[in-house]
Amino acid sequence: MSSTNELQHFNGFSVGDDLPELIEAVDQNMIDAYADASGDVNPLHIDPEFAKTTIFGGTIAHGLLTLAFVSRVLSAWNWQGWAYGGELDIVFLGPVRPGDTVRVCAKIDAIEQREDGVYARCSLACYCGEKAVVKGTVISKI
Amino acid sequence: MSDFVTYASLVEGDEFLSPPVRFEVNQHVVDRYINATNDTTVELQKVDAQGDSIAPPMLAAVYVIDALRTRVGPPGGIHAKQRFKLHRPAKIGETLYTSATVLKLYERKGRIYVEMTTETKNQTGELITSGLITRIWGKE
Repeated sequence: MSSTNELQHFNGFSVGDDLPELIEAVDQNMIDAYADASGDVNPLHIDPEFAKTTIFGGTIAHGLLTLAFVSRVLSAWNWQGWAYGGELDIVFLGPVRPGDTVRVCAKIDAIEQREDGVYARCSLACYCGEKAVVKGTVISKI
Repeated sequence: MSDFVTYASLVEGDEFLSPPVRFEVNQHVVDRYINATNDTTVELQKVDAQGDSIAPPMLAAVYVIDALRTRVGPPGGIHAKQRFKLHRPAKIGETLYTSATVLKLYERKGRIYVEMTTETKNQTGELITSGLITRIWGKE
């Protein structure tokens, strides 16, 4: 049942719109750089010999590196709404490995009128090939 | 005594980080993050309405995890879920303080889950980011 505060279009945004897609290749250099930038030097990410002994069988990227790609998409799409009040809710489904290419996809599922403004609710997913590695939702003011 | 936080020591409602953990947002930190993530967002190359240089919104992942890393669980833990509400981007020159509270402890399908809320404020107490992190606890 559709609620009276749901809109189909607002301010140039429409339900069903795709957000700009981002495709980013991840290699060990990028993972090492993120480890350096974030201070997260867990050997699972940066030590191939150690990582071989884990269930992953090799190094994997920090999950939050993938969220950095998500944030780039949302910043390019709706900077003000994302950076000033945006909400992200995601689940990590699988690892990103060196050599993978991450594709970030998102779509507007709903536009909601609230007391303090109009918000877009988007579904998002990050894929490596056909495999989803992150799924979730984003809400931002439009 | 173990050198990591044990599951048995966690209690729902307890402050996990006391006092809150400090993080300096400086140009070096921001530049390294931008370079590592290939972030070319144009707004990051400008100043905001107050004339301040701002950090990428998802720097939140760095200062929140940096704070939580001051009290680590056993090896093998997995970051399962993450929520963030970005109240505003941090600014270069700000000092941030991140607190965390144990929200929920539970077991599902043989795995132990720990949920914590986090809150990051700046040096004047202004709320910058709030969040909810769900970790699958490593085996002790």
